Amino acid sequence: MKYTFKGGIHVNDHKHTAKCQVKLFADPKKVVIPMGQHIGAPCVCLVKKGDRVLAGQKIGEVPEGALGAPVHSSVSGTVEKIEKIADGRGMFVECVTITNDFQNELDPSVQVFPKKLSDATTEEIITIVKEAGIVGMGGAGFPTHVKISSAVGKATTIIVNSAECEPYLTANYRLMIERPHEIINGAKILMKALGIRNVIIAVEDNKPAAIRKMEKLTEGSENFKVVALKTKYPQGDERRLIYALTKKELPAGKLPADLGCVILNAESLSAIYTAFAKGLPSIYRIVTVDGDCVAEPSNVLVPVGTTVSELCDFCGGLVNLPAKVISGGPMMGVSLWSPELPVTKTTSGILVFSERHAPAEVKDDACIRCGRCLRNCPSSLMPLNIVASIKVGDLDGAASYNVMSCVECGCCSYGCPAGIPLVQYIKMAKGELRKKMKR
Amino acid sequence: MSNNKNVSPEIEKLGTEFLVGEEYIREDEEGMAEDLATGMRFHFPELLRVSAAPHAKSPITTSSIMLDVFVALLPAFIWGVFVFGLRALVIGAVSVLSAVLFEFLFQKLMGRENTITDLSAAVTGLLLAMNLSSAVPYWMPVVGTFFAIVVVKGIFGGLGKNIVNPALAARVFLFAWPAEMNTFGTAGVRAGILSKSADIVASATPLTQIKTEGTLDASVFDLVIGNVGGCIGEVSALLLIAGGIYLLCRRVITWQIPVSYIGTVALLGLLFPRMGAPLESMLTEIFAGGLMLGAIFMATDYVTSPVTGSGKLIFGIGCGLITVLIRRFGGYSEGVSFSILIMNLLVWYIDKLTMPRPFGTKGGKVNVKKG
Repeated sequence: MKYTFKGGIHVNDHKHTAKCQVKLFADPKKVVIPMGQHIGAPCVCLVKKGDRVLAGQKIGEVPEGALGAPVHSSVSGTVEKIEKIADGRGMFVECVTITNDFQNELDPSVQVFPKKLSDATTEEIITIVKEAGIVGMGGAGFPTHVKISSAVGKATTIIVNSAECEPYLTANYRLMIERPHEIINGAKILMKALGIRNVIIAVEDNKPAAIRKMEKLTEGSENFKVVALKTKYPQGDERRLIYALTKKELPAGKLPADLGCVILNAESLSAIYTAFAKGLPSIYRIVTVDGDCVAEPSNVLVPVGTTVSELCDFCGGLVNLPAKVISGGPMMGVSLWSPELPVTKTTSGILVFSERHAPAEVKDDACIRCGRCLRNCPSSLMPLNIVASIKVGDLDGAASYNVMSCVECGCCSYGCPAGIPLVQYIKMAKGELRKKMKR
Repeated sequence: MSNNKNVSPEIEKLGTEFLVGEEYIREDEEGMAEDLATGMRFHFPELLRVSAAPHAKSPITTSSIMLDVFVALLPAFIWGVFVFGLRALVIGAVSVLSAVLFEFLFQKLMGRENTITDLSAAVTGLLLAMNLSSAVPYWMPVVGTFFAIVVVKGIFGGLGKNIVNPALAARVFLFAWPAEMNTFGTAGVRAGILSKSADIVASATPLTQIKTEGTLDASVFDLVIGNVGGCIGEVSALLLIAGGIYLLCRRVITWQIPVSYIGTVALLGLLFPRMGAPLESMLTEIFAGGLMLGAIFMATDYVTSPVTGSGKLIFGIGCGLITVLIRRFGGYSEGVSFSILIMNLLVWYIDKLTMPRPFGTKGGKVNVKKG
């Protein structure tokens, strides 16, 4: 049986950094830590200008009763300023700028979990995950503790998402090669929390070394299964992943737990393990730094809040004039307006491209009805008809073509010979329709 | 992380032992970026470019697709020139050039963007020439491309907006001159550039002979290689199939329309043979006339065919049925052009009928919410 899904695209994966061992960049001069790095309400800032903060100290707390995950300082130092900065999506978020004192002094709250895992209760595990501020590190940023608590009693299988289907990104791959035990141990903690035993580690088949590694480490265990997925974008999407593994279609509006699955990014699991074994909250992450402007494309373990410019300096500086900086992968990442924006918990890559790879021109020529968008669509939609409706301002028409089921993977825009920005039109229409529904 | 490396033995086993971590395994360090340091260093510009994802784009463009189609058509066209003489080449050149010229002039007149570089006009011109007899006077392709580019395509809104295939509609329009349109050259008797229409040594096309006499002189082999009379581009079934395979390999077309179209004609030829044994009848039906040209290059025209896979199958079967009905019972011996034009008119409805079921939904009912 082939583990794959219908639609999707084969893209040149550009995994130049696959052999780049993760380097540690522990001492940025300053970190800029946004209060909102997750889905849900932004955190309430707990510090003020001039305060001394320690690494691992909680500096943002989730508002009472709201969805979210707390935010911690990733270095020790002094709060230089607190201001609202527009992030990659153009939303203003409160950001705490901390000047590093290079002491790397740990907060006393950083404590190894004192009990044996076998004695830990589900509530304790959820509390630790919550206090560590762990969110989905693949890019979505859904608070992990909420995901776990909603899956308790429902989920029967843990799916470790290491598909990493975005071009360029190799952070998860390096994690699997270099620290695979953290993923497996994280999964074990989750098994304990949920009281279930099935774990599927899903990796795309263009990463044979990682598959071998995970297979070797889980050899002889009945609980773990390593699955090689056919390499195709967007295999890492939750719905496509469940379908590839179980052949079940998760309807729009339902959660994976409704089909008995709980899906976590490999790095999130590693963060769970770190929270237990080292007591450290989610303040470090691996970032793939690549693009034709970066002198030494690398995988870097950085404190959350490190700015793009410092990260690029660490990677040997720039060898081309940058035109575009992408946070995340080229298919779904957001372009950053300033190199002073930080790496957040959900930043899996920083790609710096010159004019050649980031042309300004958008063609938006006539649709020739070639049907590529339709064949590429993993949600089996008809992007050409949706966009034809949107272009004449007919949002209801777009809705009748199920525009809300779009997962915004961008396969339609990628393949369009006329250069029509299909998914961009669709995102706009979805926003308008959501506003309309609220009214 | 200057943390105490407390890989806690306290957290103990669940299932199997915790695996002891190798901290940062040293793998090979090669391949770290080929072109390190050119000495030049750059700084971030004041303004970075921002746009919505995706930030990557496939290299396929409208012109690259049209170029592929043009290239795929050329071998069969060159064969036509080879068997019918240089007169066919002039018809092709006049047709392509006039199509491009009309496209340019019309866009200019309408104040629209110049679109001749998308090559769609060139493809329309070549297709029209391939659908004409080598005996037509030189002004006919000019009239034909005017009709195709201006009337069928241009005034409907340009590329992508036409309802029927421009080249086929132009061909049918040119039937207003039936004598010229129904005089076909003889394979192997090559007409020179300056020869007049009246000088052409005319011969009946295989399908006309079958219609009028009930028999066929040419062998199936002649039909396959194109050693018969007919339109310039339709005679060589072999080279048309080669072009089709090229387009399939380049992923320009999909298999559904050619297979269902030719398959339907073949099946009906096998079940209801017109002449000779069923197998011979089937082979004659598919290799004679314009079926290969129509099924591979005309019915697969993106703009005027369904976008869904199942829609393409329905479209192809419909074309096949109408083709056979016209060939058998119609007043004219060939039915490919008419069948495709008729099916073109149904595309919108076929698309609606075969709308794919969105992922994660049942039934695929369109949830129309008016409000």
